[in-house]
Amino acid sequence: MIRNLRILRRMVAAEIAQQSIYRGAWVIFMLANICTPLISLLIWRTALANGAQLPVDERYITTYFVLLGIATMTTSSWMAGFLANDIRLGKLSSWMVRPASLLLGFVANNLSEKFLKVFALIPMLGVVWWIFRDSMNVPPGFGRWALFVVTLVLGAILVFTIDILIAAFAFWMDDVSALVQARVIIGSVLSGAVVPLALMPEWSRGFINYQPYRYTVSFPVEIVAGNLSSTELMTGLAVQIGYVVAVGLLARFVWAAGIRAYSAVGA
Amino acid sequence: MRHLRLWRRFFAQAVVRETHYRAHFLTTLLVGLVQLGLGIVPTLLLFGFTQEVHGWTRAEVIALVGVYQVVTGLMATFIGPNLNRMTSYLTEGELDAVLLRPVSSQFYLTFRWINVAELSNVASGIIVLAFGLVQSGLTPNVGQVLQAVVLVMCGLVLLTAVWSALVYSAFWLQSVGPIGIVYLSVVEAGRYPLTFFPVPVRSFLTFVFPVAFATTYPLQALSGDLGWGSVGLGIGLSVIAVLLIRLVWQRGLRTYASASS
Repeated sequence: MIRNLRILRRMVAAEIAQQSIYRGAWVIFMLANICTPLISLLIWRTALANGAQLPVDERYITTYFVLLGIATMTTSSWMAGFLANDIRLGKLSSWMVRPASLLLGFVANNLSEKFLKVFALIPMLGVVWWIFRDSMNVPPGFGRWALFVVTLVLGAILVFTIDILIAAFAFWMDDVSALVQARVIIGSVLSGAVVPLALMPEWSRGFINYQPYRYTVSFPVEIVAGNLSSTELMTGLAVQIGYVVAVGLLARFVWAAGIRAYSAVGA
Repeated sequence: MRHLRLWRRFFAQAVVRETHYRAHFLTTLLVGLVQLGLGIVPTLLLFGFTQEVHGWTRAEVIALVGVYQVVTGLMATFIGPNLNRMTSYLTEGELDAVLLRPVSSQFYLTFRWINVAELSNVASGIIVLAFGLVQSGLTPNVGQVLQAVVLVMCGLVLLTAVWSALVYSAFWLQSVGPIGIVYLSVVEAGRYPLTFFPVPVRSFLTFVFPVAFATTYPLQALSGDLGWGSVGLGIGLSVIAVLLIRLVWQRGLRTYASASS
C-alpha cells in the first residue's frame, strides 16, 4: 500500500511534467467545459424569468450550473477506451511483470490531468461566478463546502471504477467502444450534467434519486446549490459510499477474473 | 468551375470509401439518433413547466432542433473532417505537400474530406423538422421555404468561416489541436431560439459566432416572421466573412515556415 502510494506519487509527478507541454490544450478543453453549462444556465434563467413554474428557484439553477463545470471535470474519467485497448493489444502483458498495476498508471494520468485542468478552470469559474454573483447560493460556514469536496472525491472514485468495470469487458469482447459510448451518453443525462435532476419529472423521482449516476456529479453540486436537509444529506452520503464500495468490489472481482482469462495477445 | 468538378470527385471517392466501412455508417447513425434524442430532452423538460417562452411553443422549438440537426449534420459531413485535421497540417508541416498542388490550398484544406455517414443525421434532422412543423401547424409557402434555405446556407458559410478562423489561429499559436471542441460546445447554443438568451449574448450569437443564421432565422422565415431584409443581411455577412477568412488564410500562410524538412 505505502509502496504503491510512493510509486503513484512519482508517476503523477512525471505525468504532470509531461502533460504541462499541452497547457494550451487544457485551457481550450476547460473553455469548452464551461461553455456547455453556461448555455443551459441562460436558457433556464430565461424560462424562469418568463414565468415557468420550476420546482427550484433561480438561485438553485444558477449555483447548480456555475458549479457544474468543476464537478464534471473533477469526477470525469476518460480511460475506459485506452485501458480496453491495452488489454486487447496485449500491452497489459508487460505490466504484469512490473511491480505495480497497469491501473496505477491510469490513476496517475487521471490525477495529473485534473491537477492541470484545475488551474485552467478556476479563473474561468471565477469570472462566471462574478457575473452571476447576485444570484449565487453560498452556504454559510465551512461544512457544506467540505462535504462538497469529499463527495467530489468519492464521485471521482465511483466514475473511475465504473470505467474499470466497462474496460474489463475487453478481456472477453473484441470491441468495447460501443459500451464506452453508451456509458458516456447515459451518464451525461442520469448524472445531471445536461439537466439538473431536480427538474426531472415527478414520476421518475424514486429512480432518479437512487441510481448511481446521481452520485457522480449531481449530488456534490446539490449539497452546495440546494436545500438538502441534513437527513437527505446523510442518506445521500451513505448511498454514495455504498455505491463506491459495491462498484469497487465488483470491479475488483471482474478485473481479477479478467486477468485469469487474459490470453496475452501479441506476446 | 474546376473546383466544383474536383469537389465532385472528392464526393464520389468518399462514397466509395464509405461502402468499405458499413459498420461505421451504422454506428454513426445510431450515435446520431441517440444524440438527437438527448438534445431534445432539455426542450421537452422545459416545456413541461411552461406553455411558451418568448413566443416560442414546444413544437416550434422541436422544429428548430430539426434545423439544428440538419446544419450540424452538414457541417460534420463536409467541413468537420477537414478542419479537425487542420492543426496537424499546420504544425507538422504536412501543408507543404498541399501548397505544391495546382489547386487553391484553402479550398483543398476546407473541402477535401467528406464523411458521408454523417448525412444520416441530416435525414433525421429533416424528419424532426417536418414533425415540428406539422405539430405547430405552420404551412410555409414557397417564398418562405426559399428564404429559409438561403439563410441556412448563409449559416453554413458563416459557421465554416468562424471554425476556420479558430483553427487558423494555429498559424500563430501552434498548440490549438482541440480547438474544434470549443466550436462544438458553442454551436450547441443553436439548439435554442435566439430570444432565449440575454441581449448581449444574442448579439454574440448573431455577429461573432453567427449560429443564429443557421437555426433561429431559418425557422422564423418558415413561420413567416422574417422579411427579405434579414436574408440580405445574411448574404452580406457571408460575403464579408468569406473575404475576411481569405485574408486571414493569406496572412497566416505568410507566417508559415514549414515544420519538417
